[in-house]
Amino acid sequence: MPELLNAEIKKQVSDLFAELKDPVEIIFFGSEEKCTYCADTRHLAEELASLSEKLNLTVYDLQADAESASRFKVDKVPTLILAARDGEVTTDLGVHFAGIPAGHEFSSLIQSLVLVSNRDSGLSPQTREFLRGLKDPVHMQVFVTPT
Amino acid sequence: MENPLIKAEMVEATEFPKLADRHGVHGVPHTTINDGQANVVGAVPEANLLAEIQRALG
Repeated sequence: MPELLNAEIKKQVSDLFAELKDPVEIIFFGSEEKCTYCADTRHLAEELASLSEKLNLTVYDLQADAESASRFKVDKVPTLILAARDGEVTTDLGVHFAGIPAGHEFSSLIQSLVLVSNRDSGLSPQTREFLRGLKDPVHMQVFVTPT
Repeated sequence: MENPLIKAEMVEATEFPKLADRHGVHGVPHTTINDGQANVVGAVPEANLLAEIQRALG
């Protein structure tokens, strides 16, 4: 498969990745069944993971690894999870991308990788206080299109 | 990232059309909270999103 990211993009992303602090586990879920963008999304994740020593990629299959899918609450393919990795412990911080992060969402993916690596949401102190006080689950889904 | 109870998921609408239809997605970005308890179309400033989360949980 040809590379998805050209040399110029790789250079820009590598510059951004220079500020990564702590390890991030990129967790990919794909499927052998009908999945138009699984191969491209996995390839994209592989290329990104190769750009920084702080990034590692784990590949799962939605059906074959049903237990992991259930643990990470994944029901769509492709899905990328940007998880914090500290030693042997991988923590899902709730940052998921369902579908290929192309177009604008490529920027969102890169920004999210930086946030997760720095373990800092960048939110205001008031927002953090409110969110930390939540007692009930909040599942936000942001629908986007690849333009 | 601030609370393990919170999950934020980007969903590419054209790859998951049934889910997008179920939430009445016409324009993007379209944010739905807790399976339709609250919906916001367009970019959402931080404070507005908090208000929507409160509404969804209310």
